[in-house]
Amino acid sequence: MTANRDRTTAQTQRAIVITRVFDAPRQLVWKAWTEPRHFARWYGPKGFTTPVCRIDLRVGGKYLNCMRSPEGQDFWSTGVFREIVAPERLVMTASRADKDGNVDADWPVETQISVTFEEDDGRTKVTLEHVGMPAGTGRDMAEAGWNESLDRLADVLAESRQA
Amino acid sequence: MPRHKARPDHLSSTFAALADPTRRAILGRLASGEASVTELAKPFDLTLPGISKHLKVLQRAGLITQGRRAQWRPCRLRGRPLREVADWVERYRRFWEESFDRLDDYLREVQRKEKRHDGKS
Repeated sequence: MTANRDRTTAQTQRAIVITRVFDAPRQLVWKAWTEPRHFARWYGPKGFTTPVCRIDLRVGGKYLNCMRSPEGQDFWSTGVFREIVAPERLVMTASRADKDGNVDADWPVETQISVTFEEDDGRTKVTLEHVGMPAGTGRDMAEAGWNESLDRLADVLAESRQA
Repeated sequence: MPRHKARPDHLSSTFAALADPTRRAILGRLASGEASVTELAKPFDLTLPGISKHLKVLQRAGLITQGRRAQWRPCRLRGRPLREVADWVERYRRFWEESFDRLDDYLREVQRKEKRHDGKS
């Protein structure tokens, strides 16, 4: 069960890290992330649509997305851009929201999404890191050992799974 | 963003409980075995009512249970809410993997169109 335990630990420690190489020039991949007409075409799982996508692309600027499930249920999300280095790096926060962009009080979780775009011989390597943390705590929380604590707790979790 | 709003109250109370460094330290201590309230209070500069308040929050979030054995009523860690936190992370991973599949298709489509357009002009 060591593999299971390692996986759980890695997940809680670094949250989510996904790397994918896209067969497209970096400038185009950047546009796909930062322009609503492109972003709305791919964001969300298969079968979902994005009927609303507003992006104010500047540091401190907000975005607001509505993702619609195949059953017609809407999921709104919002966040603030923290870092914009075109076409290399994009950092933003993400929270659940209502259609007016107010953060969902029942789900007070603010996460941070960092995306890096690397040129690789005409193709583009995208690395996405998505870190979850409780709302209002921001980076201080991560620095204060949030990850370490969760990591330790994950060991217990792994044990309880085995039990 | 994840598709299902699975037990939002549970998750938010778990996150709220985990947001405090003292409470995380308490859970860290309980990770190595059950302990009494007095034992838990010792490493912190806390009164018994002070520690009890933290324990109540953890209990409400379902992160710990307290035994009913008279006198020392040991506290114990419960893994289930933490597992829900891990599941939540797993849902986001699936969300991005599926979005990336669509991004891959979309980028191919855009480039095909561009090529066709270039050919015509």
